[in-house]
Amino acid sequence: MPTSSIVQLVPTCLVNDLDPEVGFASARVLARMGFHVEVPRGLTCCGQPAHNAGFADEARAVARHTLAVLADTTGPIVVPSGSCADMIVHQYPWLFEGDPDRRDRARAVAERTVEFSQFLLQQPPGCATCGALDARVAYHSSCHLLRGLGVTNTPSLLSSTRGTTVVPLEDQEECCGFGGLFSIKNAEISGRMLDRKLSAVAASGAERLVSCDLGCVLHLEGGARRRALSVRVQHLACFLDEALG
Amino acid sequence: MTARDAILARVDRAAAAGRVPGVPVGAAPPDERDRHDVLARFVRELRALGVEVFVEASDGDVRARVQAHVSGHRTVSWAAARLPYGTATVVSDGIPWDAAYADQASADVGLTGCDAAIADTGSLVLLSGPGAPRSTSLLPPVHVAIVRRDDIVSTAAEVFSHAADRMAQSACCTFITGPSRTADIELSLTIGVHGPGRLVVVVGP
Amino acid sequence: MSGVAMPLTFHGRARAALSDRTLHEALDRATAQLRSRRSTALDSLEHSDYVRDVARRARMTALRNLGALLREFESRLTENGCRVHWADTADDANRIIVRIAAEARVRRIAKSKSMVSEETHLNAALERAGLAVVETDLGEYVTQLAASRPSHIILPIVHMTREQVGRLLQEQLGVPYSDDPQVLAGYARAKLRAEFLRADMGITGANIGVAATGTICLVTNEGNGRMVTTLPRVHVVLMGIEKLVATMADLDAVLKVLARSATGQQLTAYTTLVRGPRRAGDACGPESMHVVLLDNGRTRLLAGESAEILGCIRCGACLNVCPVYRNIGGHAYGDTYPGPVGAVVTPGLRGIGNWAALPDASSLCGACRDICPVRLDIPRMLIAMRQEAVSCTPQPAWLRFGMRAFAWTAARPPMYRIVARLGGAVLRQRARNGWIHRAPGPLGAWTTCRDLRAPARRSFERQWRSRTEARHDRA
Repeated sequence: MPTSSIVQLVPTCLVNDLDPEVGFASARVLARMGFHVEVPRGLTCCGQPAHNAGFADEARAVARHTLAVLADTTGPIVVPSGSCADMIVHQYPWLFEGDPDRRDRARAVAERTVEFSQFLLQQPPGCATCGALDARVAYHSSCHLLRGLGVTNTPSLLSSTRGTTVVPLEDQEECCGFGGLFSIKNAEISGRMLDRKLSAVAASGAERLVSCDLGCVLHLEGGARRRALSVRVQHLACFLDEALG
Repeated sequence: MTARDAILARVDRAAAAGRVPGVPVGAAPPDERDRHDVLARFVRELRALGVEVFVEASDGDVRARVQAHVSGHRTVSWAAARLPYGTATVVSDGIPWDAAYADQASADVGLTGCDAAIADTGSLVLLSGPGAPRSTSLLPPVHVAIVRRDDIVSTAAEVFSHAADRMAQSACCTFITGPSRTADIELSLTIGVHGPGRLVVVVGP
Repeated sequence: MSGVAMPLTFHGRARAALSDRTLHEALDRATAQLRSRRSTALDSLEHSDYVRDVARRARMTALRNLGALLREFESRLTENGCRVHWADTADDANRIIVRIAAEARVRRIAKSKSMVSEETHLNAALERAGLAVVETDLGEYVTQLAASRPSHIILPIVHMTREQVGRLLQEQLGVPYSDDPQVLAGYARAKLRAEFLRADMGITGANIGVAATGTICLVTNEGNGRMVTTLPRVHVVLMGIEKLVATMADLDAVLKVLARSATGQQLTAYTTLVRGPRRAGDACGPESMHVVLLDNGRTRLLAGESAEILGCIRCGACLNVCPVYRNIGGHAYGDTYPGPVGAVVTPGLRGIGNWAALPDASSLCGACRDICPVRLDIPRMLIAMRQEAVSCTPQPAWLRFGMRAFAWTAARPPMYRIVARLGGAVLRQRARNGWIHRAPGPLGAWTTCRDLRAPARRSFERQWRSRTEARHDRA
């Protein structure tokens, strides 16, 4: 097995416990593209909830563990979550600023870390991601993927799926209101932002809403259910997996 | 310890903490703009701002154009020496540039020259000084400004570098970019609040 | 919302704002227009990315060299004929200005827009000293008449409809009711012209100061900034110590992005560069000019993780793009500076103690950082403020305990798995068809407006290991 085809899949804590299907879908899509998927042992969480809440010591404790696990692997580190990928790529070097040894290892791991759709988009065109699915799809770009990592062309993975029409959303790039603990500590504002996003989705005529972050997906899906909206909310990996059949 | 000493001491200590990011900036990209027709650019920008602009080919034409705008109107103007093209002569119902503010405010028109003009933004540059007070271009509801073609430059940066000495001699340099305006009420545009609501620019040769 | 007592907590104010439909419509309309104007203006700016980098460099370099620049600025101002005053605190600044007014026998004051004067509550101090103060910026004038406070950095009365303004002017000025903005501006023009002509002192802020030349730059549209710096015999500038650039070239860099980001104009109608009181032979301009340099917590910010926020040029673009601001408006922030910049500046200047709710009220979406003309990394600074809150203010017990438990278990995979399985089992008790309608404890906030997916019976990790082991066994 050529080592250049090994990838490390980091499921993320949300996928691990709330929607394992996203992890399996990601693995299947990567396998269809010819990659051998490994899942590092002992992964728990990247530490983002503590970091974003200002609990730097706690975040570092968790990140030290995750860093040690990832540093002990080879190949690209593929993460089906923009916010977790951004945590590793941009926040780990900041967290370990005062720890030169870990900071260097963090930089090395950051260089190998790539979000799932970003990884797919880096592959040569004409590969096995182009499946078929008849659907009108709206795309919600998670803020960390779009602005943190600068990945703007994820929708091309949807539009290159035969039969799929990508419909525009009003205020396409506006935050859905998840924001991790923000959704709990500022639930009312979060709920209002959710309202606006779901209104835009309803007005777009989309049958499905696809996003790359399970946090956004759970927030949008939970909201759609509460409002009895018919739109189906899916992680990108599940959509592509379904399209590949 | 005075407040000055205390504040500066704190600033110096803070600087030593080194928390402000450094900013590496790449090389300046090449300036690809067509700088040839500065006058055309200036006129375009003025029109986009709602400024009435006239380009005249001779001194006499400038005077005639200005006369058309001040005739029959009480006019406060800059001193004759500060108005180009001999334009002071066309003001018949004039208020001196150093009249009381209330008198100046009762004028219909303020007539000035300018020290420079900026093509990129459609701005007039007025330096205050003897015979050329700020009030002339501020108090009346209409401002007529005479611009010499050669005084038009492309950018504000050029004004800052070419006119540095003159700016140092003057208490106040004002860039006027269009008439006075506000959008404070429901973002609805209203022209003419405290400054002149009507700006007329006459460009001479 | 004027006349109604403001709730005392951020959450209370936010909640009140969320149910204010008029506010919503006003904010949606205004912020959408301002975003679109900014976008058009920046598209037309050649090499706008490079220009933003240069503007950022001008501000950051100034902050790094602030001590030297302040000393240079003071020398140039003094040479230009200004008196320079230094104020440690807001009260000091107010006292200094009251004293200047007393020494100059000032009775009437006309003010042009100054956010710093809001910060120090200058008007109240002037009025207590028996001075008559009138705000002359239209939005600020209306706010003063309403005994309220501005709610946006650029558009002080964005939260008011034209009808509300019309009714207010009718009540306060005795003029006929109108909802035509042109007519309303006309009322203000007539009333304020008399004030400009009889004011003894003009007070302004400073959009930016230039150290090399001792220049105070004012960026305005209405003409009131020019009026109050031209007609009264005394001019007082109140400015924060951070509002400096080193050179006129740096000023140019800032001017290229300020108006474009704020209102979509290339330049505002008036860019006033003041260099001191009137000179010999001048027929207008103040006889004396004073510049009050204010600290009020800026040096503390400068020494900390959020020093960068002092580079803000007060364009307001971050407000227009922030989904939180758009939903709760400026008054909910409870202090002078609203929006993303306010969420850093307010705890920075006033201390995190009473203001921790502000940096918390963000999903860290980063839209502010993207739009900022000087590229301030506001999300990073919000996290830095949250770190300060965690170190210095009380946190809910469930959160502190939860974070410690999280840190401990997440570094120990076997423990993490046990806790996750237990937690999952507890939540699944409440689930129907895999979804929870009312979650327990803190998670209850989630289910106020969303269903919560029940945790999976078997985690991805468990299933993956057993599938790969099964494959190995078969191989």
